[in-house]
Amino acid sequence: MELSTSALLIQGIFSAFEPLNLGLLIFGCLVGLFVGAMPGLGSVNGVAILIPITFIVPPTAAIIFLAAVYYGAMYGGAISSVMLGIPGASTAVATVFDGRPLAQKGEAMTSLTAAAVGSFVGGTVSVILFTLFAPPLAEVALRFNAPETFALMVMAFATFVGLGGDDIPKTIFSILIGLALSTIGLDLITGQPRLIFFNLPGFLHGINFLVLAIGIYGIGEMLWTLEETKGKVQMSKLSVNLKEVGKAFGALKKTFLAMNIGSFLGFFVGILPAAGATPASLMSYGITKQLSKNSDEFGKGAVAGVVAPECANNSASTGSMLPMLTLGIPGSPTTAILLGGMILWGLTPGPLLFTQEPEFVWGLIGSLYIANFFTLVLNIALIPAFLMVLRIPFAILAPVIFVLCVTGGYAPTQSLHDVWLMLLFGFGGYVLRKLDYPVAPAVLSIVLGPLAENALRQSLILSDGSMNIFFDFAAKPIAATIMYIAIVLLIMPAFGPLYRKFFKKT
Amino acid sequence: MSIVTKFTVKRAEISVAIILALCSAALMMKSAENRITWSAEENMGAGFLPFYLSLGMLICCLLTIIKFFLKRSPQSQNDSPFIDPEAFKFVSVTLISLIVLVFSIGYLGIYLSLIFFLAFYLRYFSEKSVLFITIFSLLVPILTFLFFEWLLKIPLPQGISEPLFYPVYDFMYS
Repeated sequence: MELSTSALLIQGIFSAFEPLNLGLLIFGCLVGLFVGAMPGLGSVNGVAILIPITFIVPPTAAIIFLAAVYYGAMYGGAISSVMLGIPGASTAVATVFDGRPLAQKGEAMTSLTAAAVGSFVGGTVSVILFTLFAPPLAEVALRFNAPETFALMVMAFATFVGLGGDDIPKTIFSILIGLALSTIGLDLITGQPRLIFFNLPGFLHGINFLVLAIGIYGIGEMLWTLEETKGKVQMSKLSVNLKEVGKAFGALKKTFLAMNIGSFLGFFVGILPAAGATPASLMSYGITKQLSKNSDEFGKGAVAGVVAPECANNSASTGSMLPMLTLGIPGSPTTAILLGGMILWGLTPGPLLFTQEPEFVWGLIGSLYIANFFTLVLNIALIPAFLMVLRIPFAILAPVIFVLCVTGGYAPTQSLHDVWLMLLFGFGGYVLRKLDYPVAPAVLSIVLGPLAENALRQSLILSDGSMNIFFDFAAKPIAATIMYIAIVLLIMPAFGPLYRKFFKKT
Repeated sequence: MSIVTKFTVKRAEISVAIILALCSAALMMKSAENRITWSAEENMGAGFLPFYLSLGMLICCLLTIIKFFLKRSPQSQNDSPFIDPEAFKFVSVTLISLIVLVFSIGYLGIYLSLIFFLAFYLRYFSEKSVLFITIFSLLVPILTFLFFEWLLKIPLPQGISEPLFYPVYDFMYS
């Protein structure tokens, strides 16, 4: 008998309350808050570094833990934005605009409480939207075959080009290098070894996505942060008054517009592969400022200016899980790593999860509701503790992160070859990032590469080698529609300069 | 003016683009060791995808180089140092210590290597006392051992230090 969405959700919530899952959920929220609060670390670094430790638990508990880390990091990012004026992660950049001025006025607690409540509202609205949209989308996706799957992946790559906003040749290079790295190892169809550099046997098993992810987001990000902070992160002395919690709740009454914009816009922006929580929070901040009656207060310590981006980044983080679970296409770098994790745990990401692994899917969805509540409580209750943590010098934190990276890079394959590669990718990622090469598309590509190649080759076998299978509206209407959208996204950046030129002339 | 300050963003942009272009070309040549053709009659050769992906990479690098010479990218007009000397010290010492760490893992094993790595890193970059550094440098590898070997049952490389762990294993599995 098929269960309704509400029955499945209740089952999922019960599953999330099982002792192991609940314990990992709370631990994940705490780790996420910590990871988010530390400058230089964000959800993506936290999830990449911590994936290897999830091998010990069942997949449901593993995804609950990592999703809680993801969630907690969204909350935690605001802490350093407010207290240090340095965003804990890029997703909390917009929170600095008003969160820091509020703290400098002596209203740090108002700012932190507004950020926490904003995160809670955004998180709750987005989980409800997720519950409503996920099952029907998964049902549609169940009808997808290889051509539709390949077209979807092309669209995911094209989104980075069309909407990513980065240098186009550098973005495409990043996508292609991720895909090229994913082809290393044994060919799926012929079984022939390919790209085995210097005949090193370590390349025969391919390049694990974790090696690239930990390299770029662990080693590379730490090098970047060491350069930025020179090992020192100083927190200004700010008074933290618990009475301000009540005051903050009073101020929140006037932020209804910011909450709505942040929650809904964040969710839908989060679904797009190239977007994610950072642009969602910046867009929400900008739109709330434009529509607010008190727009002149923004930038000087407006509570709505803290609420809007915090609602949006939490909402976007949930939104980015929607295409990951239903279509097998990640909506953000963090979900790309989660998707890779699912493959490591022996699951097949995509719509079949809803029918074949309902406990996994609904356990995750149920856990999001609970994680939201726990993170709010932990966030507000532990603010003094997090302020102490923020005083840890980066020169002490960095080597611990490096130890986690080295052991995390070694553990999955137990090969030093992978640790060397991780170092290489870390240094390469650091240099490329300094020159504005976007690194997220490379991580997405190395995760999706083998799936995309499989879908492409299956499609071509179906069509006797004809590429028309992707463009024929009569035979494959969904694949063709998605492919044409992808083409529009790919050529969209070319119209930007033309548009500006035309309007300048007229 | 030191070498570090002479190496500007502008120079880094063109150097990296050229290095990446050469790597892409090398990747194309490596891909060509497998069959790179594809037609309706025969399946896609194992080298087909890597070859055309690296060709795409090469084209992207050439476009970056062209943009550089046309001064169309922000980096092509940026004469500030790629990295400032103080930050260079942090990044280079970190990188070198990581390379030494991974090298030494193969010989000394991971736990001894971590002790030396942590002790050096903290001594060099932090102003903590010798006592703190000693405790910290011992504690992190002990926790790493407990987590991987005891909890996850994943053996980490022990190199020449392996005999030191026999009594610990006897205790753990007795």
